[in-house]
Amino acid sequence: MAKSTSQAPLGIAPPIGVEAARKSLQREGAREKLLGIGTIILFVLIWAAIYASKILPGWAFPSPWQVIVAFNEIVTNGTLLKNTLASIERQFTGVILAAVVGVPVGLLLGANSTARAALLPICRLLYPIPGIAWIPLAILWFGVGFTSTVFVIFFSGIWYVIFNTMAGVQTLPAQHLDVARVYMTPRWLFARRILIPGALPFIITGLRLSYGVGWRVIIGAEMISSIVGLGFLIDDARWQLRPDIMVCGMITIALIGWVSETLFFDWVERLTVERWGMKTN
Amino acid sequence: MVKVEHLGKRYTTPDMDVEALSDINLDIGEGEFVSLLGPSGCGKSTLLRIVAGLIPATSGRIAVDGKVVSGPGPERAVVFQDYALFPWMTVRENVEFGLESRAVPRPERRAKSTELLSVIGLTDFADRYPHHLSGGMKQRVSIARALAVDPSLLLMDEPFGALDAQTRRTLQNELLRIWSAYRKTVIFVTHSIEEAIYLSDRIVVMTARPGRIKAIIEVRKKRPRDMATTEMNEVQREVQGVLEDELVHTSDVHADEITAH
Repeated sequence: MAKSTSQAPLGIAPPIGVEAARKSLQREGAREKLLGIGTIILFVLIWAAIYASKILPGWAFPSPWQVIVAFNEIVTNGTLLKNTLASIERQFTGVILAAVVGVPVGLLLGANSTARAALLPICRLLYPIPGIAWIPLAILWFGVGFTSTVFVIFFSGIWYVIFNTMAGVQTLPAQHLDVARVYMTPRWLFARRILIPGALPFIITGLRLSYGVGWRVIIGAEMISSIVGLGFLIDDARWQLRPDIMVCGMITIALIGWVSETLFFDWVERLTVERWGMKTN
Repeated sequence: MVKVEHLGKRYTTPDMDVEALSDINLDIGEGEFVSLLGPSGCGKSTLLRIVAGLIPATSGRIAVDGKVVSGPGPERAVVFQDYALFPWMTVRENVEFGLESRAVPRPERRAKSTELLSVIGLTDFADRYPHHLSGGMKQRVSIARALAVDPSLLLMDEPFGALDAQTRRTLQNELLRIWSAYRKTVIFVTHSIEEAIYLSDRIVVMTARPGRIKAIIEVRKKRPRDMATTEMNEVQREVQGVLEDELVHTSDVHADEITAH
């Protein structure tokens, strides 16, 4: 906003054509928002219609209203908060570990061809193994609970961080590297001041993907190897024959995933690569 | 100051073998402003990058201040055509980058960047990021970054090539002002005859395939130079003559190649 006003001469209104174009853009934006919300409402209506039609038995298919009531129940008795916090804690631990290990490994792979030759094949081999496949082994190694879940999140997500960080380093403009050579920049300063910020758009993408994958995997992991967490909440509801609680768990997962993806990572981008003009919209 | 002796550069890959530079000999004195002028592909930027220590020569040698060049050195700094500023650093941080690389303490860095920002007239932009700056401003920052490390030899690779005519003239004048104030030796790569004449003490005219020195033309006129005088026109014609000779020559080669196919 500040940018566009600073470009226009002070005290002179933009030409009418520009104003009209902006208005129509705003209208277009509002229309798109309405369409998006409309589809969500339609989805809930279809859901309610299927419930009313009794195609699926009522004990297995809750109505939207029953889900709202169930939400109220698990919010009041504290189970939702307890399980959500447990999942978030594991998710954060796993993703942060993936970042702490994955970013340096990715930088090394991007900057050093020997390291790339040595490590890339094994990374490529381990990457296609779905995180869920690690769960039985993780339970044998770490038992049921926190550590095994975190391990699975870590192992599912780290590849995205590694590969994206590597790509970020490899696509750094050659001129940046030339400048570092001209000024004989020491290795550590080079990594901190050039490689990391230069690869940041890619690193953020890697973290986004790793976060997304972790959040998908955690539920499966908790169903098998946990007695707390949103995955446990959903699986446990099966034994109580409470499909309404299952749906509550799913909606919570969707909301947290959406909020953290769009709010958190977009915020990080606004603070860094967008401020530096490195993101092309 | 700079001594280039029998320098040659070949690019050899499995499917090609190109002689980029052949038998380059050049002596540049302390405080001299020398331009490397020639058509694209004549190896002028390659020569500059070899002097900078960014790429190795295939044969011959270069000495700067009596020391043989085998890589980048603290007495040399480079200004690139595309500015090569780091978008994630503020203007001030960019200017200080060379000093930061040399582990100069922060207060000293601050003092130096403050001085240079005022020299290039960008004091008010110290905390802005490069993408807020125009091309001319970016190149000023890049020049300040090079000056910050106090090099005795300033290497400039078509620094004003991407700028519009007016900005270009302004920056040429600023460069001359800085050059006379800081007494640097400058090697300046350009493909503009006018720019070479306006700026240089000597113009090294180069030819393509292989890159060779065709002629070295001295410009004795005092600065600031008025390009409209007959004297300057004559220099311009002289340089143009040398280059046109070259153009005819390369188009001959081209014609030969076509018939050979």
